[in-house]
Amino acid sequence: MMQTGFTRMLRPLALATLAASVFCTVAARAEGPPIVIGASVSITGALAVDAAYHLHGLQQGLADANAQGGWLGRKIELKYYDDKSDPGTAVRLYTKLITEDNVDLSIGPYSSGITQAVAPLINKYQKLMIEPEASLPDIYVAPNQWNFQGIAPSPGYLEGVLTLAKSHGAKTVAVLALKSAYSLACGEARLAQAKTIGMPVVYQSTYALPQPDFSSLALAIKNARPDVVIVCSYYPDAVGIAQALQRTGFAPQFLAEAVGPAEDEFIKAVGPLANRIMSNTSWWASLKTPGNAAFVTEYAARFHERPDYHAAAGYSAIQVLAAAIKAVKSTDQVKLRDWLLHNKVQTIQGVFASDPNGATTEFGQYLFQIQDGNRKLIWPLAVAEAPAQIPYTGQ
Amino acid sequence: MLVAQILINGILLGGMYILLAQGLNLVFGVMGVVNLAHGAIITVAGLFTFWFTTRTQQNPLLLLPVVFLAMLAIGAVLQRFLLEPLAGAGRKSELLSLMITFGLSYVLVEIGLNVFGSQYVSLPYLQTTWSVGGLTVNEALIAAGVLGATISGLLQIWLHHTGSGKSLIATSQNRIGAITCGIDVSRMRCIAFALGSSLAAAAGVLLIMVMPLAAQTADSLTILAFVVVAMGGLGDYAGAALAALLLGIAQSAVGYYVGGDAESVVPYLLFIVFMILRPQGLGRAAQPQ
Repeated sequence: MMQTGFTRMLRPLALATLAASVFCTVAARAEGPPIVIGASVSITGALAVDAAYHLHGLQQGLADANAQGGWLGRKIELKYYDDKSDPGTAVRLYTKLITEDNVDLSIGPYSSGITQAVAPLINKYQKLMIEPEASLPDIYVAPNQWNFQGIAPSPGYLEGVLTLAKSHGAKTVAVLALKSAYSLACGEARLAQAKTIGMPVVYQSTYALPQPDFSSLALAIKNARPDVVIVCSYYPDAVGIAQALQRTGFAPQFLAEAVGPAEDEFIKAVGPLANRIMSNTSWWASLKTPGNAAFVTEYAARFHERPDYHAAAGYSAIQVLAAAIKAVKSTDQVKLRDWLLHNKVQTIQGVFASDPNGATTEFGQYLFQIQDGNRKLIWPLAVAEAPAQIPYTGQ
Repeated sequence: MLVAQILINGILLGGMYILLAQGLNLVFGVMGVVNLAHGAIITVAGLFTFWFTTRTQQNPLLLLPVVFLAMLAIGAVLQRFLLEPLAGAGRKSELLSLMITFGLSYVLVEIGLNVFGSQYVSLPYLQTTWSVGGLTVNEALIAAGVLGATISGLLQIWLHHTGSGKSLIATSQNRIGAITCGIDVSRMRCIAFALGSSLAAAAGVLLIMVMPLAAQTADSLTILAFVVVAMGGLGDYAGAALAALLLGIAQSAVGYYVGGDAESVVPYLLFIVFMILRPQGLGRAAQPQ
């Protein structure tokens, strides 16, 4: 009996000693060198609005990963620099991140154009890179085996618009595309789609930034009288073209702009003109993917803003790295790459899976519409939150 | 009707360019200084207007006189402390003034980035479109154009019909002659820079209603303003106004008939053509002494 009592007395002590031992081990590991992820981010320049969400998504991902004890028992840090929305600057920054800062892992920059400039560098140094903001398929071709696409491909941008428009009796299309890597791919895909489904293209043009005035393009669109206007844009031109169309007094039945309307700044900038504009997204807050609801809540609490698909893509990139590191138990670049090429990862924006060149095989696209100041998912119909409101009124 | 609409669009765009360029022209005309901070002043004023208006829900046009007067004072201080000390540096002063305004531009852009953020913003104000006889015009563009023309008109009246304005012109035409006539040239330089800065700020208040601006758009605005001023004849106010209208109409026509890509190269193409065929610009102003 005494022995039993003595054992009972010792048990809490033994447990406490064990707990202290585990704590000390974990603490000691956590005090080891952090795993550093390097990235260039467009903090300034034409892409800054969308890229800010991308950065916040990465930061939320790291905060969650660190709250769960980090990776391999080490804390995770993000080291990033401002690439000024400039591909040349981004190339210099990634060179510095890889050769001087010796980062363990890297995340791609914002936009396909900048990633396209950086991709050869990643191959040269054989550094794995998850690219959550590079939708252009051209990046993910041999021999770019070190680049992994972390977002739905750009040819799918605004794909649902023409399908939806045709089902509502729309007949003709105008397509405008900014001269950038992703947007040209988006424009070409929509032109091809219009041809395939038998909707004549009555006007098409490309344009460059900075562009102080879109009135000529808007006037040309007005004269062509399309039922559907598709703009493969970034944020500033999405604002400028919506304003210019309104100034001509022309409102097509459908106005869809690819990048820009997802941000709250867009509604502030164009006011009531935003109503019934359709846009593209590769993620949505109401998606029932694992962890999505918690991400939306925690992101909003941390950054006091509504997350958009750029934020979700950034967060998903961290989820992908976390899964790979957990599986291979190392930051060895070859092991990580091989694992990613042969495995799938569930993220908040869907399933991450790659073909042999790193191109995504499973991420999809959705369509939303701004309805009375709120964004509603309208396509695919299976996940739609509300029916599309037609026509676009332009006021 | 289509040609008339293209012309109207071009004239309204030209009105924006007049707004952009007149302050730069004034500073160059009197001081012989290409103010590389010109676009930064426009941008910061525009961003301030957005920031203030979205928080107070006030009419942005009410800010116009306030911003104008504030920048008049700030411009005078900047000129006194940054540029006036260079007045005695002879030929080196041109290069030094370029470097100083270049530096000032960076400081202003950084202030803009840190205070207002890096995002493009635009004020959805006066968005109604009027349709007259099949032609459409937008309230915001009309307001910007009318106010721009009014400011330009007042500037012209002041320059040509007041003693201080004539002194300013005299200084721009012949600095030594002006000194001989008893004109305080140092004071004229201060007035010119202060006025040029306040005109730039006024342009910013109006431009934010018609185009998206961000801190980093400063450089492209400076370049665009310089193209207009150079095409008009450096320091020639009427020439710059003519060049602005010509540029606006050319861009409007090319944008319509050729496309967006071609439209964006029109200013630079015309600039090169003018530099080759008519380097003195559309006006006949002599180069500053």
